[in-house]
Amino acid sequence: MNTLCKSLALGMAIAVSTVAANANEPMNDLEIAHTAYTAGGLDIRYAHLALAISESDAVREFAQTMIRDHSAVNDAAVALITKLDVTPQDNALSQALVEGAAAKRAELMTLSGKAFDCAYATNELGYHQIVNKTVAESFIPAVTVEPLKNLLEEALVTFRAHEKHAEHMVAGLKCAG
Amino acid sequence: MRGLTPITRRRFGQGLGAAIALTEAAGRTRAHAGTHEVAVRIDDFTFMPSKIEILVGDSVTWENGDVAPHTATALDRTWDAGPLERGAHGRVTFTEPGEHRYLCAFHPHMQGSVLVRHRDGG
Repeated sequence: MNTLCKSLALGMAIAVSTVAANANEPMNDLEIAHTAYTAGGLDIRYAHLALAISESDAVREFAQTMIRDHSAVNDAAVALITKLDVTPQDNALSQALVEGAAAKRAELMTLSGKAFDCAYATNELGYHQIVNKTVAESFIPAVTVEPLKNLLEEALVTFRAHEKHAEHMVAGLKCAG
Repeated sequence: MRGLTPITRRRFGQGLGAAIALTEAAGRTRAHAGTHEVAVRIDDFTFMPSKIEILVGDSVTWENGDVAPHTATALDRTWDAGPLERGAHGRVTFTEPGEHRYLCAFHPHMQGSVLVRHRDGG
């Protein structure tokens, strides 16, 4: 891993630590809904950045998939909260995700070419790994409203597919070394 | 290959019941005459069944049960059942015998195949 990738990985690790620490605190259904929606929206923003900067077909296809899939999941979440007539609650974990993503976008925007592609791909892999772990081990067990639990379980299937896709993208870009 | 258009649940309508009824023998070529429609369900990023056998002139309908959109797209891009949002259907009628391999263009790890046999059993 080159110096740049090490730096980005370290940044991601710090963000992951923050998320993990906050994820250990009890969250209610409305906070979980807010955080899940926020995480999806942030990945959409990363994807738009990738489409603006990257010239790699693999990266651009991945980014388009992120926009398509996360939009579908978030649309389903909006439909659910509308049906349940509830309002998701902002919380510390959502705020940490937003802050971490802003810092990461600022880093990514200074890059171009393969450096950007590798940084974006590595970040996507790490992001999905921690989000998936949080959804599976913290959110789904904690949620009490069945339709929200069902949506999170459906979303997790999608996000796990993204994680595998990201693994292939990182491997294909040959970023290590 | 006949042209394909994604069709809505409403338009798909009554045909779905018949299609589902025909899938009990998915993976096997049906012996009786006439053309038929075979249903492939998309759930958890998997085509189910992933391999089917039909006869020339039969149709395959893909129904997406996932929250994420999918397609069923020929590897050579000669036909495309999609994009399919959750609950949507897409249908292709196969007029050429042979193995027609396909994938989801959005999630290429999702793959399946349609084996189309001549009506005389070839």
